[in-house]
Amino acid sequence: MTTVQRRALVIGVVAVAAVAGALIFEAVLSVEPASPFGHTRNGHAIGWLGLASILLVFVYPMRKRYSPARRWPRGWFRVHMVAGILGPLLIFLHSGAHYHALVPVLAMVSMVIVVLSGIVGQAVHAMAVRALNDQRRRFQQEGLSEHDIDSKLHSMASQEEAFRIWQAIHAPMTLMFVALTALHVVGALFFAGVLS
Amino acid sequence: MRYHPLPRTAMPVVALATLVLIIWIGWGTVRSPAALWAPGDLSRYHVDIAGCTHCHEPFRGPSPARCVTCHSDRSFESRSTPAVMTWHREMVTQQTACIACHTEHRGALAHITDRAKVNPHGEFVFRATGTNSCNTCHEFGARVAEHPTLKEGPILKQLYAKGRGAHQPGRMAQCLACHVGGGQP
Repeated sequence: MTTVQRRALVIGVVAVAAVAGALIFEAVLSVEPASPFGHTRNGHAIGWLGLASILLVFVYPMRKRYSPARRWPRGWFRVHMVAGILGPLLIFLHSGAHYHALVPVLAMVSMVIVVLSGIVGQAVHAMAVRALNDQRRRFQQEGLSEHDIDSKLHSMASQEEAFRIWQAIHAPMTLMFVALTALHVVGALFFAGVLS
Repeated sequence: MRYHPLPRTAMPVVALATLVLIIWIGWGTVRSPAALWAPGDLSRYHVDIAGCTHCHEPFRGPSPARCVTCHSDRSFESRSTPAVMTWHREMVTQQTACIACHTEHRGALAHITDRAKVNPHGEFVFRATGTNSCNTCHEFGARVAEHPTLKEGPILKQLYAKGRGAHQPGRMAQCLACHVGGGQP
């Protein structure tokens, strides 16, 4: 098994275990099977908390585009990754395995697409950068000049472009996710009441 | 490394898909709102109700004011015992929310009264006795959940006489322990 495959397997297993954990925890909280946790006051609170965490994710793309320093906001990227995983897990806790109404189901599906494309994209990018650095070190040990190394690595770096398909899914799909989440929130408030 | 912009088509494609989805949701909301918005199927008691706003007041939730349009004083008079009617009339006077006890969207076969007494004999008892109501053998308090007591009557006497001593007070709830599958009485 190659390093890439092993990494992908670890990420996959951790993701499945985390989601399964959230769903099992919700099943434990739904003491009475007739009233799922998501429909209780605490279940609603977890939903709002998940939404707040997800909103925190948007600071990173904002800072990236409109940062006065024009520097890549590394700290906000960390927040982006942590909140982008924590928020959706809270949403899984909020939803449990009760899927009936189509609007929240669609919102959930678009959320999963956004999160998965983000995780896969980031994993692929990290691995590509590591491979580039390893190769650079090897060339340096062979005594190549920096100019030659750069030109040799250029073709390798351009291969990384192929992986940008993940980003082409990740950012635009956010639009669908935000629209469907807004519909779900407004719908829930419409039917259950603002103060419920 | 230079920042490469996203493919130009990515955003418009997703925006168009989102728009189509929202239009479809709008259309579906008119055609069958329950499929898109309801958290579960309605119980058999309310399954014929077509519109969500029959029971839900926009942004205020299920409202007692809407419940009493069907569950009126008159409907209680004609369909329930005086004790049940008085109980519910008191609840309405105290402005207790109906959903404090009654739930919905829990599936077609769900019990919609919290803490309600579930028939411990199973449906079998009706077949065995030829009755069709709990009231034939039991007397209830204001709520079905409270104090069901036995009425001495011919059916009860007949049951006690049968069963070679197995039918005793305190054991009658366990019909299905001996009558496996509700088959041979």
